[in-house]
Amino acid sequence: MKVVTVGTGMAAAEFVQRLRLEGFGGEIVMCSDEGFAPYSPCVIPFYLAGEPLKTVYWKGKDFYERYRVTPNLSDPVVEVDTERRLVRSASGRKETYDRLFFATGARSWHPHPEWLETSGVFGFKTLTDMMAIDRYIRERNIKKAVVFGGGFIGVDAALALRHRGLEITLVHRNTRLLSQMTDEDGGQFATRKLAAKTGIDIRLKNTVSEIVTAGGQLTAVEFSNGERMETALLIVSIGVSPNSEALCGNDKGVPSNEQMLADPDIYTAGDVAVTRHAVTGEQGIFATYPNAMQQARIAARHLVHGDGSFGGSVNTNVLKKHIDFPIVSAGRFEGEAITRQQGDIWRRVYMKEGMINGYIIIGDTRISGFIYHLYLSRKRVDKSIGTILSEPRHDSYYRGMLGIAGANRN
Amino acid sequence: MKRIFVDYKKCLACKACETACAVEHHPGHSLLAALCDHKTQVNVRVLGIDHEAFPLSCRHCDPADCLNACPSGAISRDPESGAVLLDASFCKACAMCAMVCPFDAISFKVTHRSQYNRDVAYKCDLCNERIKEGKNPACVEACHSGALVYAEHDSLRGKHAAKSLRTYLLGAEGMPAHVELFRELRRKEFARRRGDE
Repeated sequence: MKVVTVGTGMAAAEFVQRLRLEGFGGEIVMCSDEGFAPYSPCVIPFYLAGEPLKTVYWKGKDFYERYRVTPNLSDPVVEVDTERRLVRSASGRKETYDRLFFATGARSWHPHPEWLETSGVFGFKTLTDMMAIDRYIRERNIKKAVVFGGGFIGVDAALALRHRGLEITLVHRNTRLLSQMTDEDGGQFATRKLAAKTGIDIRLKNTVSEIVTAGGQLTAVEFSNGERMETALLIVSIGVSPNSEALCGNDKGVPSNEQMLADPDIYTAGDVAVTRHAVTGEQGIFATYPNAMQQARIAARHLVHGDGSFGGSVNTNVLKKHIDFPIVSAGRFEGEAITRQQGDIWRRVYMKEGMINGYIIIGDTRISGFIYHLYLSRKRVDKSIGTILSEPRHDSYYRGMLGIAGANRN
Repeated sequence: MKRIFVDYKKCLACKACETACAVEHHPGHSLLAALCDHKTQVNVRVLGIDHEAFPLSCRHCDPADCLNACPSGAISRDPESGAVLLDASFCKACAMCAMVCPFDAISFKVTHRSQYNRDVAYKCDLCNERIKEGKNPACVEACHSGALVYAEHDSLRGKHAAKSLRTYLLGAEGMPAHVELFRELRRKEFARRRGDE
């Protein structure tokens, strides 16, 4: 049997590694538009912040040799022919398959794709992007940057570049940073704290509406409020869209079933896959590493053993990179809100039918794992949740285990 | 697979485990070097909850949520000892592991294992090098009261089952008299502090 993966990202690498560990001895071909060994998108901003390149290859730089893979790199797959079971690449190469693993991930979405033709404007998604930004900063001795987009990737970019020593202006359309990961209050708390802790100039309710160029070189940006700022570096990170065109003909992601099958011969996983949320049941793209990894393992197991099913994705995420100030969240921010704040720590849980419906934990991670498991296990915690959140020594899990009531018992 | 087990009723909160862990994981391997060094890492923490206390540390779960959540290849399992290990040179301190650890066993700081002058995640490594030499983990070695035991789960459970049956049938508490006395004193002290008396 011949297996082809479209993509060499985290899902595809996990899938291939699992196939080999499960004893799959057939031919494996991995295709990518980039020219690298599988790398971790979570780690690449650290390369830009000055840490060594080798740490981005989280399964080793010798991945293809170690797992006996034929890599078809730097040649994007443009079409999947499910009838004839083959994929076509941009250069015209055809690759037949018995089973296809379609994990192409997502790409930066650009409101003005033509801006990228200007020297000094970059996306912030791939290792290719990181290398181009790194080279640009070094060659031009860049001291300041404007980051457009204050979602997870935008904040990640801003913090990485700040760590490198650049002066950062972060422009975001919403009333708060990380608007998908937070609710209004939590997001504003996080935004205020991030601004105070990092000195990043955060411009909210604002966008970059125009770029100013001279001879193909970026010299300044114009904001929607009419202001203008001199800069030679603009990072655009306002959103992503899944790379599902080659298989589905649109960019809405690849629907999958519980075996991670999109088609009888095609598995999918990762940031391109539409899956069911484990708690809410809604269908969506849940683009985090733990989801991608579980999906890839299910697919590999199903391919080799013919069994296994995916229990669903979870939209849990944490931002704590280049700064010791974690922002954790999961679930839906709907229901009865219970909030506790102590100094730099801000915690809110949304309750519905006595169970946790969603949560935001800002400032430390000490009870985040406990809350995460309470959320997933659908335990009724309406009587104890207030104490759990406000226990001054963050030891509510252990208190519960020993059966010793909390400090603020009434 | 052997694991560290905690009999919290025997924990006297002396923190000898914390001290031994700090020394074991300090590059100087000495108490003097580990003291007052802000990079000293202590992978076990004695948690006092009213009159009870016990050492809190990584349980080396299988499957381990932290291992499955780590996007930088820093967390792995030693197939021989079963220990969940964290390689600080790959750790990006992104907190995905801490976000899912139910036991709050992962912390962050600049340690002697930090390579890039920033915080990294740190946790118990089961003293993997020691146990491969046939020794006990440092905390277990240091525990005076028998609260920490490094043993196979099944054999320990068998012993406990037999012991509790004996305790049940004979009405004996099965706790050494001085430990029982200490617990009694501590219970009273905490009741007094709460103003129950």
